[in-house]
Amino acid sequence: MELPPPDPNILARRDAIVSALKAIVPDGVVEDAAGRQVFDCDALAAYTQLPLVVVLPKTRQQVIEVVKYANREGIPIVPRGAGTSLSGGSLPRADGILLAMGRMKSILEIDYENGCVTVEPGVTNLNITRAVEANGFYYAPDPSSQIACSIGGNVGENSGGLHCLKYGLTTNNLLGVVFITPEGEEVRLGGKAGAQGGLDLLGLITGSEGLLGTVVEITVKILRKPPVTRTLLASFDSVPQAGAAVAAIIADGILPAAMEFMDKMCAEAVEAYNQPGYPAGAAAILIIDADGVEADVTDTMQRLAAVIARVGGTSQEATDEAQRARMWSGRKAAFAAMGRIQPDMLCMDGTIPRKALPEVLEGMARLSEHYGLGCCNVFHAGDGNLHPLIVFDQTKPGEFEKAEAFGADILRLCVKVGGVLTGEHGVGIEKRDLMPEMFTTEEMEQQGRVKCAFDPGGRYNPGKVFPTLSPCIEQGHLHVHGAQLPHPHLPRY
Amino acid sequence: MTRIASESEAVEFVRQARAQKQPFEIVAGGTRRGLGAPIPALPQLDVSALSGIVNYEPEELLCTVAPATPLPEIEQVLAQRGQRLGFDPADWSVVHGISGTATIGGAVSVDAFGPGRLLRGPARDSLLAYRGINGLGEVIRGGAKVVKNVTGFDLPKLMCGAFGTLSVLTELTFRVYPRPSRAAVLAVKDTGPLEGFAHLRKIARSALEATGLAYLPSGNTLLPDVGRGAALIRLEGEEVPLGEKIVLARALLGVPLDEVDAGLALFEKIRDGAMFAGTELEVWRLMIPPSDAPRVAAEIAAPLWLGDQAGGLLWLAAPPGSAGPIRALAAAHDGQAMLVKAPEARRAALGLYAPPPPALARLRAGVKAAFDPEGLLNPGRLDSGSGA
Repeated sequence: MELPPPDPNILARRDAIVSALKAIVPDGVVEDAAGRQVFDCDALAAYTQLPLVVVLPKTRQQVIEVVKYANREGIPIVPRGAGTSLSGGSLPRADGILLAMGRMKSILEIDYENGCVTVEPGVTNLNITRAVEANGFYYAPDPSSQIACSIGGNVGENSGGLHCLKYGLTTNNLLGVVFITPEGEEVRLGGKAGAQGGLDLLGLITGSEGLLGTVVEITVKILRKPPVTRTLLASFDSVPQAGAAVAAIIADGILPAAMEFMDKMCAEAVEAYNQPGYPAGAAAILIIDADGVEADVTDTMQRLAAVIARVGGTSQEATDEAQRARMWSGRKAAFAAMGRIQPDMLCMDGTIPRKALPEVLEGMARLSEHYGLGCCNVFHAGDGNLHPLIVFDQTKPGEFEKAEAFGADILRLCVKVGGVLTGEHGVGIEKRDLMPEMFTTEEMEQQGRVKCAFDPGGRYNPGKVFPTLSPCIEQGHLHVHGAQLPHPHLPRY
Repeated sequence: MTRIASESEAVEFVRQARAQKQPFEIVAGGTRRGLGAPIPALPQLDVSALSGIVNYEPEELLCTVAPATPLPEIEQVLAQRGQRLGFDPADWSVVHGISGTATIGGAVSVDAFGPGRLLRGPARDSLLAYRGINGLGEVIRGGAKVVKNVTGFDLPKLMCGAFGTLSVLTELTFRVYPRPSRAAVLAVKDTGPLEGFAHLRKIARSALEATGLAYLPSGNTLLPDVGRGAALIRLEGEEVPLGEKIVLARALLGVPLDEVDAGLALFEKIRDGAMFAGTELEVWRLMIPPSDAPRVAAEIAAPLWLGDQAGGLLWLAAPPGSAGPIRALAAAHDGQAMLVKAPEARRAALGLYAPPPPALARLRAGVKAAFDPEGLLNPGRLDSGSGA
């Protein structure tokens, strides 16, 4: 993975740039090496780069002035939320300003009548829910890093979570933003009315990975917390049987709030790790949540049990909150549990058609044998989003490279069966050079022209998402060493 | 008019048009032609042969169709497997007095969402992937045929509401939804707009997952004997859960809630704008924050109007002089007004929407040029008019 080489003319002007930024944000410029080091990577910690300078604006006006200054001076900008990206979306540049939005964290308005909240981009995902939960509301998208990740970053990455099948990704829960273009112009897209009135640029910038500009204000939908949530644990003798259960559940008209798959290796690892009570010997398990009003959930639970029995699986419903939490504890500990098998781990992120699950798992088993590396699978079965965890030992020469090649092969397999390179982590730098696996030259150029409509100078987050150099097979992934994630306090599932 | 039979013929047509610098209009069912700025007489690319279900996988919640597939055909195929489209697409041909077949491509291109938007969003939230031909004559795929995808820019979103100005669509993939076996429509009758919309918002804020929340004022032509007006609530579910939802809705509102006969058909009429068929007045759709609905409705005082989306959408018919005030009011309420029906000269003068602010207009023009640099596809269709 290579980024475009830094511009020596910008590096030579560093002192002047720092002074100019200090004039705009007097108390929010980080210039010393130790300070900048804090920002030298996101959660894809295998790649690090000291930024030219970090600027932490507090107001919209400061953002505009910083962006206008950078535009005038031809300096790249890398936007950053909380730095929890798993794909290197906010990896800094040696010749770029890191525009970190973490200090803009006010909740501007809570509007229960219209079911929405307006916030600044640095507000964490979970703090939106916290601001409204006393009144029985919540914000639906729940990436596993929700305690730390910022809503601005969620917009940039179109973040998902466990409940996407029923409640959608960020893009489906977003009503409007105020957006600063790479030229420093303020543009309002959508709003409380959720109205676009012309080309839907709100939909376009969501998930654009910081390539099109910076959001400074965000209006999201909030939902009434479902009165009842119940959980069911199902186990199966084979992967195809579990796949058949997932297909039958969907075909039966059930829309689970969450439906998580774990393969045998993963289930056994977590059973050894924190004893969630998963049935011994199961080839695959599913953890399924249903939510809604009481009668709806009761009805769904009965139908789920019947469908699972019909395909030959066994199921058990949690009888109380404690048992529910225990069932989920295993799934949420999957990363940590795998970390005990081998010291290092790569987490992949592709989406496949659900029907291809048995084929993809078989293919991964073959790859696992070929590379001589272990791989277990957790899978958002409801929406087809697969998270293979490749375990390896970086102290063994060549093993990291093998793990990366294994990961790239898995993503190629996902694309081959009709899936995609990334379901929720983003392309960033991690999967950038795999983009031609999924898109034709014309399709890449089409997206490139869209980028140019916003950023003719190509200064916003350059080097991310689209390959700019000759394709290179080097891939980086979420790198875990000694079961320690880049943000060890964040749950990852 | 050139009637193409396949995507490759359409590619050939676009390439020739490009070589000749000849703009053209894309047509299929033709039921949306009364919307937006009229296109001057131009060659037409008739894509109506691109019709039919391409691939339907109920267990994947995915349905891929050709763009000129009639809406009823899709709904029928999905219903056979207990599913449906998420955005409840409307057929507005009755508003325009046009006989023709409303197609899925047209519904997506004008974002003709219906009451189901409440729960499942407008067209943009359902369209996962598309194939289309850009103004360079290239076949471009956007999005992917999976429910969850963040790979590259989300181009399908741009196709929704683009009025065919970005691509000649050749294939559309939707995420589809389960269709519960039961539905009921309940009404609070003799309730004024202030109180009626408040009831609807209360249901919208609840966990009842209503799929229709509309208000019909006194004097409406869809439901007789409503007194001061009727707040209508569509609830869905299997038999027992639906019963519980009805009990909960009654408890929540604390007012008599009567089940409406033929309530589902009533919501279809609301969706399709049936109340505005035959009116000589200009027809508008205003999207506003739901809580502003009573105030906005009172200020406009249109002779014919109704509220959908718990107040987030007002349909109204108003005399020609009202365009300026309607648009100003929508803008003041952080919303937008779409001119649904007006004589051709008025549509040319007014355009579909009020002009966007300059910075937004520039970005949109840039995106248009990224797909169609020479302005060949449906030229002027989304332009703002010269003024009222």
